[in-house]
Amino acid sequence: MSSENSKLSNSIKAVLAEEVSHATSDESDVRAATRPHQHDFPYDRGEEAQVTRREFCNFLAVTSTALFVGAAGFAGKAMLERNRTAQYTPAKIEGAEALVPGSSLNFRYPTEKDTAILVRAADGQYFAYGQKCTHLSCPVYFEREHGRLECPCHEGGFDVQTGNVLYGPPPRPLDRIELEVREGGEVWALGRKAGSDEHSV
Amino acid sequence: MSTRYETTPVKGGRTDESRAIHGHAAVWQTRLILLVMINVAQLWILSATVEAALAAHYRVLLPLVISSAICWLITLSIIFWWKPVSRRYTSTGYIRNKPE
Repeated sequence: MSSENSKLSNSIKAVLAEEVSHATSDESDVRAATRPHQHDFPYDRGEEAQVTRREFCNFLAVTSTALFVGAAGFAGKAMLERNRTAQYTPAKIEGAEALVPGSSLNFRYPTEKDTAILVRAADGQYFAYGQKCTHLSCPVYFEREHGRLECPCHEGGFDVQTGNVLYGPPPRPLDRIELEVREGGEVWALGRKAGSDEHSV
Repeated sequence: MSTRYETTPVKGGRTDESRAIHGHAAVWQTRLILLVMINVAQLWILSATVEAALAAHYRVLLPLVISSAICWLITLSIIFWWKPVSRRYTSTGYIRNKPE
């Protein structure tokens, strides 16, 4: 009985040892498998990892090309967007009539891509602006406590009533959206004016 | 017309051949440094372009793209033109005499 047990344990050990040997890295297996061909196709992994000056120079040339294409692409896209002529059709701002004084509402105007913010001041007047900060296009939000529009990215501040820059890095006022209050308290967006002459929307 | 390397030691204990090898390496090193500097400049130009595009500063976009294009042309000229002189061929294509 004991001899059978020892046989069994030995065979289990042999199987485990075989599994462990198979669990070693593929690298050694590949080396072993390709050993007969090493003479015909010699290679050295260590040398392969080295980058020559010529290769690095070529890599820098490709990088230079990519950087140029990137700069041209960004500039081209910006110029295309500048030349895009937007059609301003009056649009009702849903939910504006229910807006309580001292709060804000986000909407999209004139297209679905253009986010905007509607603010109802404490005195009940409505003001609306494009939500993109004029510094680096971060979305501005209404800061209720101080009653102004703020950009969270670089701490720029805008006046709610005029859209002018109060502080921070933004170089020009926010794009203003023209509003009209119609019967029943409905608020309609009629058009969009650029914050400065350079920027057209 | 061909150039012949001197293998006898000259001033400073170096042969002409070893001087040529050192010169060759120096030119390669210079090319590499120039290319890295141009890449850094182009990276800066790209970031300025992105910033100008986001801020709708359209006036500076064209000069930035032109600057990047100039950098790219310099890179191409370094890669294809400003090569170190070959140790085997002269600039006009003649094969040099091998060192004895």
